[in-house]
Amino acid sequence: MITVYKDKRDIPDNVEYVELNDLFFNQNTAAKLDGQAEALIKKIDSSKLVSKYKIESKFNGVVLDVDCLSTGCKTVLNVLYFPDKVFCMKECGENALEELYRLGRGAVYSDYAMIPFEMENVTASSVNGDRVVDDYEELKEWWEDEK
Amino acid sequence: MKSNPVVMEHLRAVHTSYVVDFTFTNNITILTGPSAAGKTASFSFIRECMAINPNILCLNYLDYQKDIMHIIQQAKGKLIVIDNADILLDDAVRKHISLDADNQYLIIGRNPKNLFATKDNLFELISRRDGEQTEFVIEPYL
Repeated sequence: MITVYKDKRDIPDNVEYVELNDLFFNQNTAAKLDGQAEALIKKIDSSKLVSKYKIESKFNGVVLDVDCLSTGCKTVLNVLYFPDKVFCMKECGENALEELYRLGRGAVYSDYAMIPFEMENVTASSVNGDRVVDDYEELKEWWEDEK
Repeated sequence: MKSNPVVMEHLRAVHTSYVVDFTFTNNITILTGPSAAGKTASFSFIRECMAINPNILCLNYLDYQKDIMHIIQQAKGKLIVIDNADILLDDAVRKHISLDADNQYLIIGRNPKNLFATKDNLFELISRRDGEQTEFVIEPYL
């Protein structure tokens, strides 16, 4: 399950925080794309990964560079391929959030609640410790009340 | 917050087979919705218009190191289009935008905090195919 932070100060000092997901993806993650990325790109962006660095646009079938993926999709792929870093999740739409919360590991940050309606277990990490949450309302309460 | 657009009510941008055709009903338009709707693609087509339209000012994550407040405070009579707004705009800039009567805003993001927004400000992107063309329009989100 992924780990969620709501305060940057709770991110361990030895763990890198990445705010600019577009830039990080273009510089680091794009080169790592493999079969794991294909299904996520299809689910989130409704696009087809046609080669290592190319996707087929959902709008008109034109082949584009992978830098044209949505920021939400790039964020999910950043977390997938770099589970040792913490990524800003604020630019994820509902469709990206659903896939983000299904990842087996990784870490994300937002100072306000970013929760998909259909969520999986997450580890909510704060100064008060870690706790596993599997309920939308409980996680929302953690985000809003326990500051 | 309901207030009439101070710069333009209509924006049309054409980029090869893509057409952006936005009608604004408010001075602050927050464009939200799912990932991959075409928001950043639309932003890139509008940004291209900056080359010939002096009334458009576009900002995105490439401006992350810049003083966004200063840039906005210097602007007069502009449609200021901001992509990646959730990471670019801090609370102070958001409050300034909410009270800015000199410029109009198209804000691409999901967090309406400190913009004093109501449902009148929230829009989503709709794409339509017309032959080989793809047209992007905005419609009320709620």
